[in-house]
Amino acid sequence: MFLILKYFAKLLKALASEASPSQIAGGMILGMIIGLTPIMSFHNIFIVILILVLRVNIGMALLSFMIFSGVAYLADPLFHKFGIWLLELEGMQETYTIMFNNEWWALTKFYNTVVIGSFATAVILSAPAFPAFKILVLQYREKIHAKVQKWKIVQAFKSTNFYSIYKTVNRVRG
Amino acid sequence: MRLGGVITVLVLIGLGFAAAYFITDDLIESNIEYEASVLNEAKVEFDGFEFSLLKLKMKWDRLQVANKNSTMENTFETGETEFSMQFWPLILANKVVVDNVKLTGFQLATERETDGYFEIPEEEKNQEPGFIYSVVDQVASQAKKNAQVKFTDIRDDLNVDSLMARVDIRTDDKVDSLRNGIQKTYSKWDSTFNNTSINQEIAQINKTVDSIKVEELKDPKRVVTTIEQVKKLRSQVDSLRNRAQTLKQNFENDYGTTTDEISQIDNWIQDDFQRAVNMANLPDLDVRNIGTALFGENLLGDYAVYLEYVAIAREYGSRFLGDAEGRQIQRYEGVNYRFSDKYDLPGLWFKNIELSGRTLSNIAISGQVTNISSDQQKAGEPIEFNIGGQDKNQVNLSLTGEFNYLEERPRESFEFNYSGFTLSKAKLSGSDLLPYELKTGKGNVNVSLDLIANRIDSRIDYVASDISFDFASAGEPKNQLESLIRRSIGNTDQVDISALIDNMDGPLRIRLRSNVDELFMNALRQTVSEEVAEARRKIEAEVQQQVAGKKEELVAFKTEKEAEIMERYNELQARIQEQVDKVEQKQKELEEKKKELEDAIKNRIKNRIGIDY
Repeated sequence: MFLILKYFAKLLKALASEASPSQIAGGMILGMIIGLTPIMSFHNIFIVILILVLRVNIGMALLSFMIFSGVAYLADPLFHKFGIWLLELEGMQETYTIMFNNEWWALTKFYNTVVIGSFATAVILSAPAFPAFKILVLQYREKIHAKVQKWKIVQAFKSTNFYSIYKTVNRVRG
Repeated sequence: MRLGGVITVLVLIGLGFAAAYFITDDLIESNIEYEASVLNEAKVEFDGFEFSLLKLKMKWDRLQVANKNSTMENTFETGETEFSMQFWPLILANKVVVDNVKLTGFQLATERETDGYFEIPEEEKNQEPGFIYSVVDQVASQAKKNAQVKFTDIRDDLNVDSLMARVDIRTDDKVDSLRNGIQKTYSKWDSTFNNTSINQEIAQINKTVDSIKVEELKDPKRVVTTIEQVKKLRSQVDSLRNRAQTLKQNFENDYGTTTDEISQIDNWIQDDFQRAVNMANLPDLDVRNIGTALFGENLLGDYAVYLEYVAIAREYGSRFLGDAEGRQIQRYEGVNYRFSDKYDLPGLWFKNIELSGRTLSNIAISGQVTNISSDQQKAGEPIEFNIGGQDKNQVNLSLTGEFNYLEERPRESFEFNYSGFTLSKAKLSGSDLLPYELKTGKGNVNVSLDLIANRIDSRIDYVASDISFDFASAGEPKNQLESLIRRSIGNTDQVDISALIDNMDGPLRIRLRSNVDELFMNALRQTVSEEVAEARRKIEAEVQQQVAGKKEELVAFKTEKEAEIMERYNELQARIQEQVDKVEQKQKELEEKKKELEDAIKNRIKNRIGIDY
């Protein structure tokens, strides 16, 4: 419970002003890619490394991963059909064969309909999603944040001892 | 760039390697031991197992594969073994492909320190036994049956008196029967000659002839008429003579048959003698089975073991095949497109195993086993093995063969040869019939087997050469059979046995052949002929005694009866001849009377008219 509350507080803080909109959008994009594609895919190792190494918002990445995992559960049949279409593209067969025969490319499992279908979907969505997420963050800060602060649940949370201690610790850590 | 994130990544990688280093060995060892034990139906255990994730290298100091039929024994064990797996098939397709294995310290049938029993979990239990196991069962059952063969019918002596009591001397009865026949024939002909109508006709002719009074005839015409009558009588008598002649011929033909039968008496005596001799030849002993009784259990028992290895190979092959097939693709897992067959490999594939070790009899063996795979169709190669070795005493061992599951019908074939091993102090058979140790001898075993689906064609040849038995230690033979066996094998320096097991022409046939059969047969014949030589003389004397004089007596009887009938015939003939004479005499008298009357008439005419006619 403590961790969840902590995570929730961090999210609100990040959205309010701490992190830049690009870092938040970046985290959401990377989390979306992991969420939409099968989690054990090889490319997700690189995405996780990117999340850890780049200055993207990890909390937002986690939130995005959870949200888009749910979306993927519903969208997998569509990814599968999209993957079939991609893998059966006449002009790509030679490329696919080369990739399949190359061990490093083969690690990506892009010969799987759901993997390639979901990954391609995630990459395609990333382009419009990044600026869209940025706009959403800015809009939140400008129009929604003040209203959220007035929510009874947020007020109740802020009045707890836990929140006081948390604020003090954060101030001390700088 | 976030420094904390970089450190986190590095820490995670470090933890991954550490976990792989410390955890994988035990985890992989226990997994492999469990899966292999399920397949083997008895424990498979590694000692000193090591697995390097970085090098993908596997190594063990000792591998024990317990024998499921005797769990305190290993089917085989190996010493230090090391091999590396191919990286990409393992990572990308979860396939274990090993190019070269160096397997040292290979030993068959070693003792275990602990019990190798393995309780197979219910869900892992396999289906019913396959075809090869059914053959194993049949062969094992035949081996057991052979061990139980008893020659209870063999007699320990050849008692001619008891033998003669069993022989049915038929000549005596046949002679009596023939005598009765002669008697009946005699009675028939005696009656025929007594009751023939010829006698009445003779009497009638005699009466007619006597009634003709020539001196009373005065009329020439009457004389002429009488002459005609007498001529008819003559014809009648001639006819009687012919009928008598015919009777005689019929009698002689009838009796001739009896003569032929009498000449058969010698053959009947010979038949009786031969029958007695045949009976003395112990016809109730089936010597063809002696080899089976002596060697069947050992040979077929060994065969069942060899076949069981093949059954295991086929069963494992089919289990692997079964695992590879029919795996359902789960929903939304997607479908893997294969753009080449690069990773279309069997789940487990040992391409080449260099094997070395020792047999129980300490022969250093080495060889190659190639392409052990869980799916031969994917490997594209059958399992082939070629293992052999020789010890300092020139004892050779070789095993070559192929287990081929590439086509629809599984095919196994192998040839095993073990030659030159010493038989000194060994027993050729576990049978009570041959309890003797060998003083010297060399053995040679050759096993060949071809199995295509449910068709089996196999052969085991066992040759023991330069052998000599130690009969002295066993003491005197206890019975005639033991004596015969000693005699049959005592003079030979080689014993060969062949077992042929096949179902190429129908149901499974298990045949055993051995030169011991023939040796035993010869010894038996020799023994019998010595005893029967004496028996022959007794039998001959006995038969001769029983039938002696019968033939002469019968011939005399027949001659006597024949003479009696011939006498009847001669009497008849004499009476006919008498009538012939009388008729002829009467005819002569009548002719003279006629002439006399004619002359008187002529003289009377001459005297009256003076003309001389």
